[in-house]
Amino acid sequence: MGYYDRIVYSLRNVTNIKGKLKRDPTTNESVSSALAAELTIISTLLIASLLLRHINIVLTIVVILGLGLILVTNMPIIPKLKREQSDSLEKMTFYAILTLGILITLIYWGTTNV
Amino acid sequence: MNEFIPLMVIIPIACALLLNLFHKKDKTVILMGIIVAIVLPIIPLIANYGLHYFGGHAPLITNSTLLSTLPSTIQNSALALFHPAVTYSYGALQKIFIFILGIIAFFAIFNSLSQNKKVSGPLMFLMFMGTAAVTAILLSDDIFHMYIFFEISALTQTGIILTSKTENNYETALKYMILGSIGGPLLLLGIGFVLGAVGSVNITDIVYAISHNLVDPLSPTLLFAFGLIFFGWLYTSGLPPFHTIKSGVYSKALPNASVLLQAFTVIIFIAIGIAIFRIFSYLPFFKTLIVVFSLIAMVLGVTMAIMQTDFRRMIAFLAVGELGYIGLGFGLATKLSITAGLFQAVNELVITALLFIGFGTILYLTKISDTRKLGGMIQHNSIVAIMVLIGGFAMAGVPPLNGFQSKLMIIQASLQSGFPEISIIAILVSIVTFMVFMKAYHSIYLKPKPNDLVGADKLVPRSSIAAIAILLIICIVLGLFPHLVTDNISQFAMGLI
Repeated sequence: MGYYDRIVYSLRNVTNIKGKLKRDPTTNESVSSALAAELTIISTLLIASLLLRHINIVLTIVVILGLGLILVTNMPIIPKLKREQSDSLEKMTFYAILTLGILITLIYWGTTNV
Repeated sequence: MNEFIPLMVIIPIACALLLNLFHKKDKTVILMGIIVAIVLPIIPLIANYGLHYFGGHAPLITNSTLLSTLPSTIQNSALALFHPAVTYSYGALQKIFIFILGIIAFFAIFNSLSQNKKVSGPLMFLMFMGTAAVTAILLSDDIFHMYIFFEISALTQTGIILTSKTENNYETALKYMILGSIGGPLLLLGIGFVLGAVGSVNITDIVYAISHNLVDPLSPTLLFAFGLIFFGWLYTSGLPPFHTIKSGVYSKALPNASVLLQAFTVIIFIAIGIAIFRIFSYLPFFKTLIVVFSLIAMVLGVTMAIMQTDFRRMIAFLAVGELGYIGLGFGLATKLSITAGLFQAVNELVITALLFIGFGTILYLTKISDTRKLGGMIQHNSIVAIMVLIGGFAMAGVPPLNGFQSKLMIIQASLQSGFPEISIIAILVSIVTFMVFMKAYHSIYLKPKPNDLVGADKLVPRSSIAAIAILLIICIVLGLFPHLVTDNISQFAMGLI
């Protein structure tokens, strides 16, 4: 439960962007950096989802529309992403184990059951 | 047999152990350190290509007299072909990378000795031991041997952070060790599964056993082993989800040590990447997985880099992002793409070293790495500033520098493979890389100098200027004449696919 509580806490903390900005002085440089990062992440995610056309065209259209909607409604993404990509050991361990879980699931059951 | 092949590993290990013995005898440490650092890039140039079997235990098939005395069940089985000893394989690819590693190790060690008033025996020990470990990883044809030396290199990396005496270095080192306790054992477990399935840890033997159906290529054991080894590879190379800790590791070491740390990572990335490619590239989702993780590394690398205010962390995240380009080369799995990926690895080794040393001069002069507190440093030494600028251009892929050549090859390879989306993302990431670099450069060199900035009255060490100049010359030469490297690499790539 400790981990679960931490995840919920970190997600709640994401909404407190104003508080974070108060601590970190906003300059032209930081704003343009955040904007560039925001545009990069959105555009690369949408372009990368185009690769799904090699699997199924309809799936690609659905994913791009869905992803586009999620990305636009969740802007700004970068502050949330930056918080998740922090030096916190809990977050790094969480993502490491999550990746391992996804990887093994995809490789093991994805191959033996196809 | 070529005795120079094991010497590439033995000499730095012996030097590391001796330096530890002579700790506190500064002159001896400096003399020995510099002599061995000079020798390191020379050995790969004079060594001949070939194989080295430790203990002289060559495969039975090479010794017909011995083979004829053995039972026919052994004579006619794969056992006659298997490698009983740890085998080192030295070819054109190893030559290029060990030579470049030797040059980078020389600059890192030389700069470290010349810039620190007090010579650190333990730091020298760690630098040489790490260099020996990654050289062994590159040479070895034995996946367990690779793992052992990877663990040694991980320990030396942790030790290098600990000796750096920067802010929060102990915390970062501890986090790296804790995350290593997830990635490392799982990599070993995967190797154990392969050993259980095949009966050998020699990569050539494993490839033989799988390609000749001596084991079921899609057996759950091998699939599970692939998952674990792939995850271990993500940890060893600092690909997501380990990119944050890897960038932290780079930024917590002193710049001269970071030069070596990034070189270790790139070489481990390609050495274990090649091993995984040789063993598991027959799996249908193998290429997809590598492409996906490479794209994530590229995008997260640049987006996180641009959000940083510490220039060491910026370069660290950029270095992690650049690994994605190398991964794309493996993931696209064509002769051109693998050549491009490996060429990008050579370029990244040189360019990132240049930038760490270049920006490291700022840290040396001011003791500040926060870009918000810096400015006007171009007045201090404009030649160094211009050389760093050109180095940054090389990283961003500005023609006619080496980064441009390798990135262009990757873009061409992805277009030829029918993935224009990957080309577009590669170009986008390159543009943002340029922006990150210019942001750091502007903040440090071009912005008006803050009134409270002190320490700029010192001179940039000559050793740093020489290192930056030589690395820049390598960037320009490889940009103008990429075939000096790509000809050899493309032969290797052809053999790999």
